[in-house]
Amino acid sequence: MFRLNLKIALRNLWKHKLVTAINIGGLSVALAAFLLITLYVGYETSYDASVPGRERVFQVCRSLPDSKTPYTPAALGQLLKRSLPDIEATGTVKKGGFDFAVTKEDRTYFTTDYTLIDYEGARLFDLKPQGGLKEPENDQTGQFYLSDAAFQLLFPKKRDNAPELVVLGSKSAGFTAPVAGAAHANPHSVLQYDALSVQKQLGSGEGFDSNNYFTYVRVKPGTNKSVLEAEITKLYRSALIGAGADAGSSEVKTAAIILDPLNNLHLKPAYGSDAPYKTVVALLALGMLILVIACINFTNLSIAQAAGRAREVGIRKVMGAARRRLAQQFIAEIFLQCLLAAALGLVMAELLIPRFNSVFQVPLTIRPFENGLLWKFPLIIIFISLAAGAYPAVVLSGFRPAAVLKGNFQTSAETTWLRKGLLVFQFTAAAVFIASLLIVSAQLRYMRTEDKGFRAEQVLAVTNMRIYSDPKKFEPARAQLLGIPGVRNATVATDIPDGSKTGTARYTISGKEIMTGFVNVDFDYFETLSIPIVSGRSFSPAFKTDTADAAILNERAVARFGLTDPVGKLIRGCDKTYRIVGVAKDAKAQGFAQAVEPTIYTMKNTCANPKVRILIKVEASEMLSAIAALRKRWPEINKGDGEFFRYRFLDEIYGRLFHKEEQLQQVFTAAAVLTVLIAMMGLFAYARYLIGSRNKEIAVRKVLGAGSFQLLQLFNAGFLKLVLLANLLAWPLAYLFMQAWLGGFAYRISIPLFPFLAACMLTVFLTLITVSAQAWRAMKASPAGTLKYE
Amino acid sequence: MIELNNIEKYHPAKGIKHYVLRHVSASIASGEFVSVMGPSGAGKSTLLNILGMLEEPTYGTYHFMGEDITSMNERKRIELYRNHIGFVFQAYHLIDEMTVQENIEAPLIYKKIVASERKSRVADLLDRFNMVAKKDLFPSQLSGGQQQLVGIARALVAEPSLILADEPTGNLQSAQAAEIMSLFRKLNREEGITIVQVTHSEKNAQYGNRILTIEDGVVRTDTPVAGQL
Repeated sequence: MFRLNLKIALRNLWKHKLVTAINIGGLSVALAAFLLITLYVGYETSYDASVPGRERVFQVCRSLPDSKTPYTPAALGQLLKRSLPDIEATGTVKKGGFDFAVTKEDRTYFTTDYTLIDYEGARLFDLKPQGGLKEPENDQTGQFYLSDAAFQLLFPKKRDNAPELVVLGSKSAGFTAPVAGAAHANPHSVLQYDALSVQKQLGSGEGFDSNNYFTYVRVKPGTNKSVLEAEITKLYRSALIGAGADAGSSEVKTAAIILDPLNNLHLKPAYGSDAPYKTVVALLALGMLILVIACINFTNLSIAQAAGRAREVGIRKVMGAARRRLAQQFIAEIFLQCLLAAALGLVMAELLIPRFNSVFQVPLTIRPFENGLLWKFPLIIIFISLAAGAYPAVVLSGFRPAAVLKGNFQTSAETTWLRKGLLVFQFTAAAVFIASLLIVSAQLRYMRTEDKGFRAEQVLAVTNMRIYSDPKKFEPARAQLLGIPGVRNATVATDIPDGSKTGTARYTISGKEIMTGFVNVDFDYFETLSIPIVSGRSFSPAFKTDTADAAILNERAVARFGLTDPVGKLIRGCDKTYRIVGVAKDAKAQGFAQAVEPTIYTMKNTCANPKVRILIKVEASEMLSAIAALRKRWPEINKGDGEFFRYRFLDEIYGRLFHKEEQLQQVFTAAAVLTVLIAMMGLFAYARYLIGSRNKEIAVRKVLGAGSFQLLQLFNAGFLKLVLLANLLAWPLAYLFMQAWLGGFAYRISIPLFPFLAACMLTVFLTLITVSAQAWRAMKASPAGTLKYE
Repeated sequence: MIELNNIEKYHPAKGIKHYVLRHVSASIASGEFVSVMGPSGAGKSTLLNILGMLEEPTYGTYHFMGEDITSMNERKRIELYRNHIGFVFQAYHLIDEMTVQENIEAPLIYKKIVASERKSRVADLLDRFNMVAKKDLFPSQLSGGQQQLVGIARALVAEPSLILADEPTGNLQSAQAAEIMSLFRKLNREEGITIVQVTHSEKNAQYGNRILTIEDGVVRTDTPVAGQL
């Protein structure tokens, strides 16, 4: 019985090769997409899965009046460990904050993420460096480790675990230090580093006012998080008072500590944006949607084929088959197709994974034993078989023999309505994605071409360790830089337009106080970045006092302070009074998502970080020779930095701010292609069935004198109505969706009409082609043959 | 074997009862070969469908082998199909995806007969109908007459006591039709199978031993065949 049914199922699928191929193809594409997304979501939500007691590990964050920050004093971790028995372990981490060269003989590695961690923290994160984790003997010496790649680069032939000596920093000004080995930085962790120093204790002797450390705690099982938070807050406040703060001050009163679960740190840290989490949820929804659309297709096609199978159902029933048995048979057939689709989908996913990994920068692999695919995938197949097969099975097995055996059988109006609904749903999804894709692309184009307020092209951002806060110190370096042919301008500043936030402080002009971002710059800053000065003048060596108390505001600051004629006015902040000499155009240094902040540019600012970021503007035509010269002469130009000239192009750095949007564009492209493809497949098969079942009508109409054009019109009209309806439904959806997305940008396009028209035209065009191709085939058949057969 | 009592069948259309059958009462004894005749739309096929339990009468009672069919549930009805009734259709209605052999075998599978028994019964029928050479062909590869032979073989394989045939020769040319009708007569006479056929052809009706004429849903005449062919 089963064998016979299987045989019939296979013969049936073979007989309708094209529809079967479409059915299986569509489902496998959707399954591949779903599989990739499931893997991705699984990866993103399982960060730090290898950390022991992961659910009980928290990052300690400080809650400020209007934000939260992960930066805590090192003393806090030690205090918590001493005072609270509920805390099992604490870990303190500090980011080195500067890059340096590590040299062994003629091989050099530049660290970019030097990290310090205390011994207990290394144990909390279960770090397993080469040679095992050893507790440092005293506070001064730590164990220095390098990342796998760096260690491999410096010691390509190393086999044993003996420590090696390397030079840290430049050869001339650096010092020699031992490397304990390689410490693998798990990419699947929030703790990242390429050079690691494990110390006995971090920040010993520092007080509660240096918030430079990340603190992690592991609590005992069964600890109540909110109770613990309250206890820590109390401890922290009394520690602040102990350190000399006034008990009644707002600094103490508003101080609060929250515990952020390790599970959340990667996707939705309390102190940061939850955009990654939203992306993951949106992707999961997208995966489900694509799968649902494919299932709908499957159901749709199966019902469309039902008419052909109706007679078979009738005969089987007359021969004594029970309905349940027939339903089982149909489910089995659908299961068979799902199985084929699943196999095909797996192959596709395997082929697509490298591309997917490069877009999302993840190391995903399909290893059924590792990520539970072995039991998840069969479950998915069974679920799809039931979801896509239940309805057709019920409909098909429900046919009444007396009706279907008479010959003139048509599936009922009810299923026609349902099928139309499903088709509309599919096209709505397709149109939403097409329109959204075009809008995302338009916004990206806008961000790439719109005036940023500065020009990043042909500007080199040089990595530098020497501090140039005093303009006099930079003067000789600038003179030498300008001596190189092709170098037009050179400057140094605390901040460059790379998307990062500047420091902020309260500044006052005639009594009005505003939180203002500050950037400490050198001469030629505005010229190097081509930021136009709209009134007044730029900083200039011709004015002796510029290096002491001159300030330039941006337009935003002028507007916020409500100034009409700012040049010459005095502004006070950071315990210093400046004289405004000019107004600069707003530079979108933080990208397009944030509105430009009111900013003050000065040349001397005690609040600011040291000036270390060197910017060099080079003539495009002389770029290569200029870089070669810079590389060669760097040690003499910039003695403090050493012999290595390291640079990046500023437009490249700034372009990385669009990475998320580019990723989204890629996702939408894939989604649009997938949904359109699947919808077209569904339409194709449905049109084929519908027109096939109207062969006789076509023949009769032809005999009655209908022309080809009239017949094409007849068939297209019905489908076009559905597609237009789908577009009407899609427009408001896409509009609201994109409106919400664009809401995240301070500088954005207003939604144009074009994407909606394009989505409509594209879907209509594809529908016309698909339906007409099918209709054409039917129309070419000789009416005599069709009518005779009937 | 069959007792029809006051059978009525109508379709409600716009509030008006559209009668297909009216007050049909008839009884068919075991071993009879009955031909139902009448003009198009008279209700012949509906009567046959009711006999075959493919349709339910709106009113009246139908006893089959002493059991009241009208109050029977689906499961018991399927039991009756399997064990007592074989259908033969004008359009043959073979399953296109099955070979000749598989088509004939299908009813036995639903009767849960073991494979060896199935094989021997199918082989026996193929032999009887001279179709051994064609057993692995698909219906589309056979002529109409041959397809109808397979259809009859399929109806016979479950060893029914009643065969219901709806214009079994309607799609065939006269030589083939005569062949099929002789086969029916042989089955009726030699194996005692009760046969009810719907036909338009006076000639085919002569193969049976009784003719029921239906007009406008009412039995007009019920006459025995004088000189059966």
